[in-house]
Amino acid sequence: MTLLTDEVRALVGRSRTYTAPEPLGRASIRYFALATGDDDPRHLAGDVAPPTLVCETNQFTGLPRDENGYAGHGWHLHIPGTREVRGGNSYRFHQPVRPDDVVTATWTVTDVAERTTGSGAGMVVVTSLATYTNQAGDLLVENEETLIYVEVAR
Amino acid sequence: MTGLSLERTIELPDMVAYAGATWDWHRLHYDSAWLAERGLPAPVVDGQLFGALLAEMVLDWAGPGAELTALSFRFKSLVHAGETVRCTGRVVGTDGDLVSIECGVEVVGERARVAVAPAAAEVRRP
Repeated sequence: MTLLTDEVRALVGRSRTYTAPEPLGRASIRYFALATGDDDPRHLAGDVAPPTLVCETNQFTGLPRDENGYAGHGWHLHIPGTREVRGGNSYRFHQPVRPDDVVTATWTVTDVAERTTGSGAGMVVVTSLATYTNQAGDLLVENEETLIYVEVAR
Repeated sequence: MTGLSLERTIELPDMVAYAGATWDWHRLHYDSAWLAERGLPAPVVDGQLFGALLAEMVLDWAGPGAELTALSFRFKSLVHAGETVRCTGRVVGTDGDLVSIECGVEVVGERARVAVAPAAAEVRRP
């Protein structure tokens, strides 16, 4: 039985946009640097954001928490008989993110594909592209992410 | 070949700080009862933290004024609170001021294993 149902195929092209209600701010940059043990003086001063900070910021303000406590972006896809695991990320950094940037993140599903694991289990790979821009429309970062829905033994 | 390395022990308070800094309040990262119900032995480190550590390692190596232009990584295994990870990298190519680096993240200690592979970075040096 295929995991790649019409419902799953219909995900391709689905898009969500999140805009932060205020600039990123020096405090957010400094907090991220402290949390990751980053001793770069530019990051600790909040002058420029560490590269991957942009993917999870105040762009998520106002989103409700789900039953697991998570309040960020998600496609809320449930494929019966599978469990979700994170595949990976591929970032392109176009220009540094600064404290006065108001970040908009736009997520789009670019592909869904059925594959088989090395042990023979079915899986669906969902690929999304997130683009991050500032209030001037400048492209800051692109982030391609894969989520994998692996068939579990019944 | 030039070797890059960064080692970090990730304690639960580090994970709580990272969760707060990244708006990610998922119970997977701190809620012991929630984890026990799902057969997980300890809070799970947010995989995006390894992206942050790889970026830090590469930028530290590249020196002041360097800019990371690309970073990619695939997750291989979960890492839990209290474990130590070692990020590594080696230069595999240069193109003008751009340097390509092959990277990885492994858990060191009793339960040594690969956490992230493959991984790659590209950095522009001034």
